[in-house]
Amino acid sequence: MRIALTVNGRAVQADVEARRHLADVLREDLGLRGTHLGCEHGVCGACTVLVDGEPARSCLLLAVQADGCAITTVEGLAADGRLHPLQEAFREHHALQCGFCTPGFLLTADHLLRERPDLDDEAEIREALAGNLCRCTGYHNIVDAVRDAAARMREEAVGG
Amino acid sequence: MPSWVGKSLRRREDPELLTGQARFIADIARPGMLHAVFVRSPRPHARIASIDVSAALAMPGVHAVLTGDDLPEATAPQPCTHLYAGQRETPYHCLAKDRVRYAGEPVAIVVAENGYLAEDAADEVDLELEPLPSVGSAEAALADDAPRIYDDCGWPDNVVGEFRSEMGDVDRAFDEADAVVHERIDIQRLFACPLETRGVVAEWDPYGDELTLWTSSQILHIARDLLAAVMGIAEHRIRVIVPRLGGGFGCKFHFYPEEPATALAARVTGRPVRWVEDRLESFLATVHAREQIVEASMALRADGTITGVKAEILGDMGAALHTVGYGPVWLTSVMMTNAYAIPNARVHARAVITNKTPLGSYRGWGQPQANFVVERLVERAAQQLGIDSVDVRRRSLIPPDRFPYKGLHHVFDSGRYENCLDLALETLDYDGWRARQRELRAAGRHVGIGLSFYVENTALGPSKLLNAGGVQQGGYDISRVRIEPSGDVTVYTGLCDMGQGITNPLAQICADHLGVHPDSVTVVTGDTASCPYTGYGTGASRGATVGGASLMKAAGALRERVAKIAAHMLEASPDDLVIEDGRAWVKGSSSSVVTFADIGRAAYIRPIELPEDVEPGLETTAAFDPPQMAWPYGVNAVVVEVDVDTGLVSFLDYAYAHDCGTVLNPLIVDGQIHGGIAQGIGQALFEQLPYDEAGNPLFGTFMDYSLPTTMEVPRPRLAHQETLSPNIPGGAKGVGEAGAIGSPAAVTAAVEDALSPLGVRISRTPLTPSEIVRLVEEAAARAPERVPA
Repeated sequence: MRIALTVNGRAVQADVEARRHLADVLREDLGLRGTHLGCEHGVCGACTVLVDGEPARSCLLLAVQADGCAITTVEGLAADGRLHPLQEAFREHHALQCGFCTPGFLLTADHLLRERPDLDDEAEIREALAGNLCRCTGYHNIVDAVRDAAARMREEAVGG
Repeated sequence: MPSWVGKSLRRREDPELLTGQARFIADIARPGMLHAVFVRSPRPHARIASIDVSAALAMPGVHAVLTGDDLPEATAPQPCTHLYAGQRETPYHCLAKDRVRYAGEPVAIVVAENGYLAEDAADEVDLELEPLPSVGSAEAALADDAPRIYDDCGWPDNVVGEFRSEMGDVDRAFDEADAVVHERIDIQRLFACPLETRGVVAEWDPYGDELTLWTSSQILHIARDLLAAVMGIAEHRIRVIVPRLGGGFGCKFHFYPEEPATALAARVTGRPVRWVEDRLESFLATVHAREQIVEASMALRADGTITGVKAEILGDMGAALHTVGYGPVWLTSVMMTNAYAIPNARVHARAVITNKTPLGSYRGWGQPQANFVVERLVERAAQQLGIDSVDVRRRSLIPPDRFPYKGLHHVFDSGRYENCLDLALETLDYDGWRARQRELRAAGRHVGIGLSFYVENTALGPSKLLNAGGVQQGGYDISRVRIEPSGDVTVYTGLCDMGQGITNPLAQICADHLGVHPDSVTVVTGDTASCPYTGYGTGASRGATVGGASLMKAAGALRERVAKIAAHMLEASPDDLVIEDGRAWVKGSSSSVVTFADIGRAAYIRPIELPEDVEPGLETTAAFDPPQMAWPYGVNAVVVEVDVDTGLVSFLDYAYAHDCGTVLNPLIVDGQIHGGIAQGIGQALFEQLPYDEAGNPLFGTFMDYSLPTTMEVPRPRLAHQETLSPNIPGGAKGVGEAGAIGSPAAVTAAVEDALSPLGVRISRTPLTPSEIVRLVEEAAARAPERVPA
């Protein structure tokens, strides 16, 4: 079946079997391998992408269900050769070790901070990130990075 | 010399990981590549009556279906590198022949145009199994009438290995003790569970008959050598490449059946083949860890001084020994004195075979078990003697003036253990928390404080110790450093980067010892074609210590050559030079400077500029084999609150004081501790792999194997002290496993302390909500008067 997607702002078409999930199509057909598969049963959150701005587990979504949607993957976060404030903050705070879960965290957090640019409370950030698993970091540096990124983005918004 | 070591430099690999550009095993794609899926035994123990692959093979897009019968004659059984004295062999092939011994054992590999077609075809493989009696626990495996899992190898029982060790006069210590405590501890089966599953890509060069194998492994050259041995081909014809790893934690320290099976599939089909483990199969196909039953006793004097320890250790190895033999069980037994100067100790370990997934490595190996047992006994002793367990520890910690201290097996190198204990108490505000605990208890809340002291063996080697113990691996590491014609520096190491960030401290070490900026250093890992041999691979918290020390030697030797060339160019003596930031000049006269680019050009392009006694090229290689291991140590100090109605444990505070010698990169060290503690909390509270009596797995997804999330892991407050190791140049001790070793014991002690007014005693983990409710109810049945209103 032929589907049309807008991926990271670019219009693409793909011919996909109905049973293929979105993550496989992004990874294998479109070559966007930053979306990682950690469980393929919707628990770990590593494959999280934004579908029309909402976070979705791309392992649980068939590609055909995303026909006509706008998808954002981790490859779409940095712009003009500059890291996204979340990416900067993750690096600054050592919020990643192996980095396998990181794309899912980044997209979950990107959505979170779009919805809640005012976010500063650690407990709220923890709750919002509780659907993503990380086995390396113990999470604290991720929480700090998201909080710091929120502050940076607020500053940029005021400054810009 | 400016010191890059000790700085929290940001990690070099982060930009590619953050932008989705890093290449993991599942991202390796080769032209014409096929995809493999394994058919696995659904039964814990059975004879293979028949495997009919014809329907699968007839499906469109299917290229091959291979079973144990298709293995070439020369295929050797899966090997072990750790051959402890008297350890039996558990021969099994990468694809089962005749018999399967655990649910999940690979019986066939199906290769098709894509993964979906391979899955379809795997469903059509007709596997006929005749069930055999099976065993789901170590205790059942020891029963007189237990099915013999290796009766075909002539075993009289299911014991695969046995180990005894003793020092001092144990019987006398127990006879003369003022107090003796005894405990049976059950430590559950766990899974290291990196977020990235395993995978293999195999490609044969049709012209040179050479194999390239990409694999998610922590043991680069060892994987190559074992693959060569299993397939009966020369090592130099195999190139192993380890791409980025999405975590390892020990479970990728093993050589797996899928490695030769995928290589064989690529050979048979004449096409590159990729296999990527899916999460569900990972729970059965990747080694499990930890599971032991330990019966242990401790003898003490009335003042709390520990005088003796005895332990009977029963390790459940699953269906076969997997790469490291019964190593974790052995290590538990020799660590039974923990950090204490206990003069009398006797341990007896038995490793038994059951019909479960093979058991292997996970952060800490056998140490978290030993730590848990000893620290439980310390708590029990303190309760019996009516003194604070902190004081029991304090009385018996190895004092600073007794290093090097010879324990049951190892020689402990250095430490200020009691200082570290005090640092932890201070960091937590132990006295303050005890006071608050009294108030909170009076208000009806179940608040508990728990501590544990751990010591960890790191910097494995030395080779002599390993080889003498039966390990067919060295304990050294080798580094190669090259200054390129441009003046940039490349470091080659056999260590693998599993996500711990090993290239960063290596670049810092190289920068200091060569006299360059770390940004000019590239560290190459994960390729047997370019990286020097690693003695033991990347485990046992040895990378930065042993690998780092070999790099110091190599970089130091290269610096001498640089100095000779620079001195020649500057018409000065090498001794008078300053070499810093990739430049050299005569001390006190910085107007005339030679850069590494000048030196690189001379060494490669214009040897005419070299002094007479210096050969062209700028490359050195050096090995380091430690004289003894390095022993970091530390204290977890934990405050929890338990909801006795729901069984939920929440953390009120968490302090962690430790000493890993020289801190190479504080950012990375703290990250290692954070992650280790989170895994230890998983062990204490959530994670388990239960089997039924017959060895059928009662788990299968992330819905029942609960990894801790942001909501469960407390933020530890870390405190460091630095006592250098005399065994490692630079004084660093390993830190990779530290966080995972003592945390289960401390969390458990805190939960027990919280519930102690109810009479709860804890001797097994995980302390899931239902387990806590059960403990509370059980205690209430014993002593109804203690039940809270």
